[in-house]
Amino acid sequence: MIDRKKRRVVVTGLGIVAPTGIGKAAFWHAISEGISGISIITPEEGAIAERIQVAGIVRNFLAEEHISHKTIHRTDRMTHFAFAAIQEAIADAKLELTRENPQRVGAVIANTMGGVGYVLQQLQALYTRGPRFMSAFTAIAWLHVANIGQAAIRYGIQGYSKTPVNDTVGGLDALGMAYTAIQRGSADVIIAGGCEAFLNPFILFILSQQGQYVTGNDPNGYRPFDTRAAGLILAEGAGICILEDYEHARQRDATIYGEIVGYGQTNDANGLVAPAADGTRYAKAIRLAMQEENIQPEQIAYMSADGRAIASSDQGEFHALNLALGEHLASIPVSVPRTMIGHSYAAAGAIDTIIALLALQTRKIPPTINCDGHHFSFNLVREKAYLLPQTKRQRAEVALIGGRGVGGANTVLAVATSED
Amino acid sequence: MSAVSPLRRVVISGIGVVAPNGIGKEPFWHACLTGQSGIRRITRFDASLLSSQIAGEITNFDPTQFGLTEEEIHHTDRATQFALACAYLALQDARLSGILNDTERERTGVIIGSALACVEEGEKRWLQLTKQGTSVPSMEPEDILPRTLLMSHASASSIAAHHHLYGPCSVIATGCSAGADAIGQAYWAIQEGRADRMLAGGTDASISYGVLDVFCVMGALSTKYNAAPERASRPYDRQRDGFVMAEGAGVVLLEERELALAHGAHIYAEITAFASNINAYHMTSLPSNGKPLQHLLTQTLTEAGINPTELGYINSHGSSTPPNEIAETIAYKAAFGEQAYNIPISSTKSMIGHSQGAASAIETIVTALVLERQHIPPTINQEESDPQCDLDYVPNHARRAAVDIALTHSSGFGGVNSALLLARPDWKNKHDR
Repeated sequence: MIDRKKRRVVVTGLGIVAPTGIGKAAFWHAISEGISGISIITPEEGAIAERIQVAGIVRNFLAEEHISHKTIHRTDRMTHFAFAAIQEAIADAKLELTRENPQRVGAVIANTMGGVGYVLQQLQALYTRGPRFMSAFTAIAWLHVANIGQAAIRYGIQGYSKTPVNDTVGGLDALGMAYTAIQRGSADVIIAGGCEAFLNPFILFILSQQGQYVTGNDPNGYRPFDTRAAGLILAEGAGICILEDYEHARQRDATIYGEIVGYGQTNDANGLVAPAADGTRYAKAIRLAMQEENIQPEQIAYMSADGRAIASSDQGEFHALNLALGEHLASIPVSVPRTMIGHSYAAAGAIDTIIALLALQTRKIPPTINCDGHHFSFNLVREKAYLLPQTKRQRAEVALIGGRGVGGANTVLAVATSED
Repeated sequence: MSAVSPLRRVVISGIGVVAPNGIGKEPFWHACLTGQSGIRRITRFDASLLSSQIAGEITNFDPTQFGLTEEEIHHTDRATQFALACAYLALQDARLSGILNDTERERTGVIIGSALACVEEGEKRWLQLTKQGTSVPSMEPEDILPRTLLMSHASASSIAAHHHLYGPCSVIATGCSAGADAIGQAYWAIQEGRADRMLAGGTDASISYGVLDVFCVMGALSTKYNAAPERASRPYDRQRDGFVMAEGAGVVLLEERELALAHGAHIYAEITAFASNINAYHMTSLPSNGKPLQHLLTQTLTEAGINPTELGYINSHGSSTPPNEIAETIAYKAAFGEQAYNIPISSTKSMIGHSQGAASAIETIVTALVLERQHIPPTINQEESDPQCDLDYVPNHARRAAVDIALTHSSGFGGVNSALLLARPDWKNKHDR
């Protein structure tokens, strides 16, 4: 056996594209004030009569502001989002990539459905016009790997680069993978997060058959832990964090948002169904994320919940939080800021992590909108934004970010205010 | 917040493979050693309008033979079914099928690599729901959509559900390096103590009109051999003209070494290093100087503390694409010096074709079997040598050889390169002497 010293991993830059705002400042303003980004969508955007008619669509996004005309036409909307978020995160981190060893810088970007909008257009060309009418760029625009491939070319990074796919938790897995890679010394800096752009008629049609999404045109229909829970609202976007070896960040005097202190991953092994009503394995993922640095429940200042808004899945999450946090749960602020954004699948976990880091930094806990005390099925979330009390900190404060997926995934990330 | 913790050793103790030239370990291995190609003319759809009309199809796959339930067959796409079959075979091969207890299953996970995942199913359903692309999506009340539609992570989740495995579970989609990446990430997970056992590998089933055309229009596929499919995949040969699409899956069972020894497992090989990088050059081509691969090879050997002289075999990416094999050859020479001429190198894609995300997992299996059986499968279709590819590619005939340490590497669209270093179970004693 080889002994090794685990390295510390910190977050030094954030970038975001979301229905609630493009860029950290606009985004955080909306989230901390409880302003929703959900809107009614048109049939061209995927609306289906009697079914899905609202979504967290990113409006006012101009790809031209972020990438060249040539690249726009060779890439899907998911990659446009990723590029915009990466650019912001790198600038936010004041990371000068030309001064880095490119082989020690990587990218881990999760995605669930690939460049599906691009490929469906090309399929249409193939089947209605013939094989020569498909674009030669289809493969590179469509594959999940397009995002890291394009990012590597644009930024000249040559290190550890991966593309996790894990339904609605891929973004958390991307951060977890990047964290472990830096921890074990396989990279010094990783551009990590997720991106998603699947709001189109075919995808929404398929998803609408599964009964796990809000139907009708109520933009306030996403209500987790509420007796009126009727499923998720879908969204698109991207969230990117710059993860960095602590010593590396210190040497270049980087501003540190927080430290990643744990990553737990389990599976319910219950097949391709909604997250389980039994929270045992989710609780285990929470414990795994806490045990890495021996985090105590009283250190937890915020829990970002999955909040699936399916009665049985919410039951499972409530069960898990009780199992893992016990009597401390009552004093831990829990919220589902995704009620304002919608669920952007692989982008969601990264966006949730960004929210958690900003919540620890500003001491402001974002609300769970659309729910109110009269309809709580579990006394868990808060309707209004909440200010953490100013206490004399003895130890680092920790936020947990939880995510679950169809297929049984339970992923939990722990981030902490950075101790010196 | 730092701790010193030991890295554990990880071994391969079970193998499951579904490939165009053989289903199951022994038929597959026999085909590889005897140089049998699995490439034929496409039968799955009418390919007559495409420039490439050949592929490595799996023609006799019966999921009921590999433990899949009626419900699984009904609800999963072809790639997921291949992966389920391979996981079943790997657990059986390790003699652990159905006997892992609750505690052990809590510590067992799944990582599967896939480049395209459920695309074949997606294309079929898109055609059905949009009436061949002519209308907005709609369906008849009696239509039922499979649950895995749109779920690229279905392969890993379905394996976890079938065998009640509660550890870490995910899919990785790094193009053609995905299978090796899955095995590499699983190796790390066990090494770091995040799991004790992992089923890891790759799967892809993407022989459809849409996917073939995607690669035809970009000029990536072989087009000269439609009349002689078995000769089409010819890495290193001067007449090579592009890769040949294939489907398939490969899954290995990885175990923490002490646990494997404790239950008397048959150990094929120990994994001694996993390394990967990205080209940052071009989405579909690679730098002709082979630099990224050179760095990767050096990094892999360094990580394991191995000299090039100890390297007894390389299972190459060898995709039968003209620039790839030239860059590979340059990289081998740059990384290993004169020693490059002494290392037997073979590309089993010459027989299997390129099974996308499955390829590098199947190639890891080949590499493990080379170590176990001390027998190297050939690169077939070597007829006219390319002066720029002048190393020992084990042309046309299998060869017996003493191999203690072997390397497999892969590259793909998007530029991800990954390498795994494998060694015979007793390698450490020899190496340390």
